Amino acid sequence: MYAVERKRIIREYLKEHNQAQVQELGKLLNVSEVTVRRDLERLETEGLLTRTHGGAVLNKEDVDDPLLEVIERSGAKEDYDRIASIALRLVSDGDVVMLSNGPVNTRIAAALAKRSGLTVLTNDMSVALRVSVQEHNQVVLLGGELDKSELALFGTMALSNLNKFYVNHLFIEVDGINEDLHVTVNSQGKADLIHGALDVAKETTLICPVENFDRSAFFRLGHIRLFKRVISNHTIRDYYKEKIFQHDIALFTTIEAFEGSE
Amino acid sequence: MSKDAFLSIQNLTKRFGDFFLDIDSLSLESGKVHVIVGENGSGKSTLMKLLSGWFVPDSGKIWLRGEEVAFSSIPHAHKNGILYLNQDVQSFENLTVAENVYFGMLETVGTHRHLVNRWELLAMCSQLFRELGIRIDPRIRLEQLGYAERQLVAAVQGYLSSADLIIFDEPSSAMSEPDRNLLFSIIKELKEKNKAIFYISHRMDEIRQVGDVVSVMSQGRITHTCSSEHLSHENLVMMMSGDQDRHNDRYPKISRHYGKTILEVEDLEVFPILKGVSFSLRKGEVLGITGLMGSGRTLLANCLFGIVQPNKGVIRVDGKEVLFSSPVDAMNQGISLVPEDRVTNGIFAKQDLVGNSTAAALKRFMSSNMLDSFDMETVTQEYVRLMGINPGRNSDTVVNYSGGNQQKVLITRWLMNRSSIYIMDEPTRSIDIASKIDIYNTMNDLVSKGVSVILISSEIDEILGMCDRILVLAKGVIACDLSRNDATKAKILSYATQGQEN
Repeated sequence: MYAVERKRIIREYLKEHNQAQVQELGKLLNVSEVTVRRDLERLETEGLLTRTHGGAVLNKEDVDDPLLEVIERSGAKEDYDRIASIALRLVSDGDVVMLSNGPVNTRIAAALAKRSGLTVLTNDMSVALRVSVQEHNQVVLLGGELDKSELALFGTMALSNLNKFYVNHLFIEVDGINEDLHVTVNSQGKADLIHGALDVAKETTLICPVENFDRSAFFRLGHIRLFKRVISNHTIRDYYKEKIFQHDIALFTTIEAFEGSE
Repeated sequence: MSKDAFLSIQNLTKRFGDFFLDIDSLSLESGKVHVIVGENGSGKSTLMKLLSGWFVPDSGKIWLRGEEVAFSSIPHAHKNGILYLNQDVQSFENLTVAENVYFGMLETVGTHRHLVNRWELLAMCSQLFRELGIRIDPRIRLEQLGYAERQLVAAVQGYLSSADLIIFDEPSSAMSEPDRNLLFSIIKELKEKNKAIFYISHRMDEIRQVGDVVSVMSQGRITHTCSSEHLSHENLVMMMSGDQDRHNDRYPKISRHYGKTILEVEDLEVFPILKGVSFSLRKGEVLGITGLMGSGRTLLANCLFGIVQPNKGVIRVDGKEVLFSSPVDAMNQGISLVPEDRVTNGIFAKQDLVGNSTAAALKRFMSSNMLDSFDMETVTQEYVRLMGINPGRNSDTVVNYSGGNQQKVLITRWLMNRSSIYIMDEPTRSIDIASKIDIYNTMNDLVSKGVSVILISSEIDEILGMCDRILVLAKGVIACDLSRNDATKAKILSYATQGQEN
């Protein structure tokens, strides 16, 4: 059986039982304990579980988080985590990172636990909460008016706070990209905040999962050229891969077929 | 523009989507060879296709022998004495070499009562090949020839042609040194017959060997023209690199911290091309190797994969000296090679998608001495999904796939082998952009899992964009070893071509 398949089964098993023993998993999957341990190690780095002596327990936040349940219902959580793991590789220890509000950025926030010395700026409350539990990283929550449906802060106060910082790496999550490569978001507040953030940032990365391609939200942000990099799923249409490359923008995708060296 | 020019062009334009070709002026005299150089996609072939009736220009004028002409079709241009020998050597696979050579003039030679006299044709062709020094058997079918030999056959077609203007489009890209010398002597004879010749090339070392005049193309324009005698090495590098490094931003490069040295090569020699190659590769590193065609890049890859045995030198994997007497030995040491010529050395024509994908990892599918075909099919489908192989049905004949999808199948084959070193020889050559992006991101996936990659490429932008360190191979040795931050296009070109003029 292949690693991908094994990981899926382990995940299902944990969701049902909340914990698992290496031995039982080995029997269930018909592989050696070494292999199971290796799989658990990988799933731990993905944040799904915590390894214990002889087994693993499911990470609680993964089940209790109402926001995540929404994502999970859409079946996209794994895709989001893959995007997050690429974003993580673009960040170095000690960076000043800003994450705009959105479900993928929340996963990036969780992944940042693997870095230290970061200062994370955000307008998203769940991003802030994720980083707040990370011992070696700091979080700055931009003030402002609370949008209750998005649990994020917008408005002039957020904007003026933003101007006090110099951001190394900005990750902007958007709600739509259409065939003309115009980028759109769901609210005017979000559009304003993003424009403000683009002014203070050095590296700018656009985050857009596959389901937001071929879509236009109501508020226009501008052309994709506003950004230097794009991270998305590898399942986006070839049309977009081609166009983005032709605009001299680096496109990182979640293609992940290699199972590791033998 | 000189009046006695055989051909001259003024303000010729053609637009294809984002690409715009705009040639202010260009002229060519009889008995001269005009070399056109430039990067991939700079418009060299497009210009030649406008001159030979493949495309109709949007605007502009063409004069031939002093008269204005406008070609509406390929035969139309042909009747006016223009022959375009294009890159994808167009010939008849199921005819013999002799039949291909004489195809354009079958009415006038070797016919008897409207039937082709095969024996006479063969005799003529043998005679011609002897004169030219070509060692190809005229009796065999063209499909049995390699790409370089086909290029030579195409050149012979040019030699026999009655056309006054002959366009050679990358005629030597696959040729070895002796074949190139044959080609050059053919061109020399054509010059003596007072033919006008355009010669498109990537290889800078050829310019002075064949050319009288050289023009550099960049982004659809001719940026420089000068006589090839006055061309210095520095000059050419400067002309070619143009506004350098402009595309580096579009490569999705993830840098990571490298680990210990995993591969060491010391003083590797393969007679007569590699003359002492030494380098090392670290865990998680993407090492670029570039150099002119014929610099021995592919030969080096073949040594590292046990296809060719070096005459001298040491290869160490993980600190231990290894001897590869076959690719199996290299595979056992955790090395995979995605070969340069995917059609000849990669895809198994008679096998379906499953057979092609699983070929390097059959060990994994053994169960009690049988291959578990259900498992093979399931795993293949998993990879089809992960790699985005299209259409990706298990029973598909892979030879019918697009270049990009064929390449993804080949990469899949070697991913399944789960190696720790991947050598990729020209992995993105002539494939679509979307597949390129997928391959770059697959390289990121590999290095993020601790694998090392050797990327061999002649596309300098790609090497600059994706590699942590860059080696330039020239004259059989590593001419330089540049870190990502130090490397520029001009430096690479300069090292790659140094000493070429001697």
